[in-house]
Amino acid sequence: MAGLVDTKERLVDVWGGRVKLRFQIVGTGAPLIYLHPAAGLHFDPFLATLAKRYTIVAPEVPGTSPGDGNAIHQVDDLWDLVLLYEEGIRKLGLNGTPILMGQSFGGMLAAELAAHFPAMFKKLVLFDPIGLRREGLPITNWMTTPPPALAALLFKDTSHPAAKAMFTPPADPEAAANGTAALVWALGCTGKFVWPIADKGLRKRLHRVTAPTLVIWGEDDALISSGYAKEFGNAIKGSRVEVIPNCGHIPQLEQGETALKLVNAFLGD
Amino acid sequence: MKVSAFAQVAYRKFADGFEKQNDSSVTTPWSLVDPTEVRAAYKDYLDGLMLAARSGFDGLVFTEHGQASYDMMANPSLVASALAYATESEGLNVAIYPAGRSLGKSREPLRVAEEYAMIDNICGGRLVAGFPVGLMYDASINNGVPPIEIRGRFDENLALVLKAWRENDAFMFNGKFSQFECVNIWPRPQQRPRPPVWLTGTGNPATMQVVFDQDFGFNYLSWFGTKITGPRIFGRFWEMAGKLGKPLNPHQLGILQVACVAATDAEAERKYKKHIEYLFNRGPGAIAGEKLAIPGGIGLQGLHALMRDPSDFGIAHELRSVSYAKLVDVGSVIVGSVATVTEQLTELAKTHRIGNLHLMMQFGSMPRELAMENISLFGKEVVPKLKNVWKDEPHHWWPERLGGRPRYSATQPAARAMGGA
Repeated sequence: MAGLVDTKERLVDVWGGRVKLRFQIVGTGAPLIYLHPAAGLHFDPFLATLAKRYTIVAPEVPGTSPGDGNAIHQVDDLWDLVLLYEEGIRKLGLNGTPILMGQSFGGMLAAELAAHFPAMFKKLVLFDPIGLRREGLPITNWMTTPPPALAALLFKDTSHPAAKAMFTPPADPEAAANGTAALVWALGCTGKFVWPIADKGLRKRLHRVTAPTLVIWGEDDALISSGYAKEFGNAIKGSRVEVIPNCGHIPQLEQGETALKLVNAFLGD
Repeated sequence: MKVSAFAQVAYRKFADGFEKQNDSSVTTPWSLVDPTEVRAAYKDYLDGLMLAARSGFDGLVFTEHGQASYDMMANPSLVASALAYATESEGLNVAIYPAGRSLGKSREPLRVAEEYAMIDNICGGRLVAGFPVGLMYDASINNGVPPIEIRGRFDENLALVLKAWRENDAFMFNGKFSQFECVNIWPRPQQRPRPPVWLTGTGNPATMQVVFDQDFGFNYLSWFGTKITGPRIFGRFWEMAGKLGKPLNPHQLGILQVACVAATDAEAERKYKKHIEYLFNRGPGAIAGEKLAIPGGIGLQGLHALMRDPSDFGIAHELRSVSYAKLVDVGSVIVGSVATVTEQLTELAKTHRIGNLHLMMQFGSMPRELAMENISLFGKEVVPKLKNVWKDEPHHWWPERLGGRPRYSATQPAARAMGGA
């Protein structure tokens, strides 16, 4: 994991001992569980800022942790994954009720967890989550998008420094090969739980979410239409929806200040 | 050596520049099509295979591809069934060889087992049962299978199909991908405990391992230039055989080879060049690369290997624009006079210890008459000579009725346990 910050690593035995769920932990304060997007866990400047106020607890989808790629074959479907995450979070023994936050694939997973275990989380923050699908609101399948088109899928402004940072490969060919292999595998592992990119029943379950919820969306999201912001908003009772203009699929990076203000206001002290 | 005719049902009338605007699979617009030409394509395809059966070829080989304009073959069992009956009626002793039903794609493995068993009964024990893992666009995009599950689904489906054929008694199946209270398919195949089984691969050692573990045949169906990929893929295959202490019997290995013959080398080039370019540029070469390599479909170890050395895929990346000259140069096609193609095919077989040649003689935009001419001339002048190659080696992966000497252990091992894709 490329790190802006030093994280502690915790391996938690879950799933009857068949999976060691790896958590990256950083920061001080109340626990905030962060669920990574399809490409795997990367600590970005937004998380680094949040870590000043919260203890960021970030599990990695089995298979995406370095050196443990085959762990994905122990987890068959989304139900398995939700149960396995609940077990891991429970076994960590966090102080107090954690905040749950997720981006894209992680947003879907966060919504699933909050729907399955309504009492488990204090608040829920979703950034451009996938998980719903309906005609007229387009989704682009990132797994079959040619690599040169990925930047424009994720960023409204592909010249944004965050886009440059994400899509500039390491100069060392060995590091570049390792990085690409890890990225492709992470997409394959997370893809197991969403393929084909469709509604796996989340729409039926969202009514179970009781945690106060903030849904943030980039208005110009090319991966999943910002029209889904309203869909989530309508399905989660009492939730708040914020659509950020001039912004693509990753508001925390492309409009970091705005996203941070919204999150801070929602989380309060 | 067994020499079979290989064919795909291509749409033959795409305009020049098709490949610059369109892919040849998944998203190809149906609006580009003349339905009369689609009907003609099936007729000419079946006629071509029947002509091959009457011209001395050992087998008829065909593939499965959903949502593909280069091979309009949603279910090869339908073709196999037609050919099984027609050849049986005419007393043509050829193998019916779907190369075949993709088990990484299939959500109905017992349907596959039943269809193949029916075909083996219709043709009286001449079925050679091919099972490719399947192309990722077909399994994942066309059939909704998560890419990372394709391999596991293939392994489980294959084990189930083999058991459904083999067992005389009904059994319960509690798999990961399918479950059945009572498996007791009617009919079982004529060939007991099973027809010869062939897996198709692109060079993945995991597939080769299964081939040796279960005494299957291995097909390499590739457009990527055998002169580049052959030494790697076949070298790997025979190296593995050696390490496992298996006899290096050429009849365990089969390949697809595009091949064209005419009176002279010059005439062959003149007649076939544009149809060959159509085949590669507007056919398999116009499949979107990102739909052939979807994340999850290649295991982590394979990814690391691929990132460092993509040579297993030869000229795959340039097929959409590749020239005739380059295709000849890398061995993707063998074209020439009787003497030229006989010599080159013999050399290919001997160099890599290949005992099954699947010759693709009807393809691309090739009109019916030219395809028939090509198949006839091959049958008359080339095939008899090629059959002599490896004639002293027993063929254990061919139906007994057709002179094969299949061997099966009393109990077949179960398919390998689920592993990384």
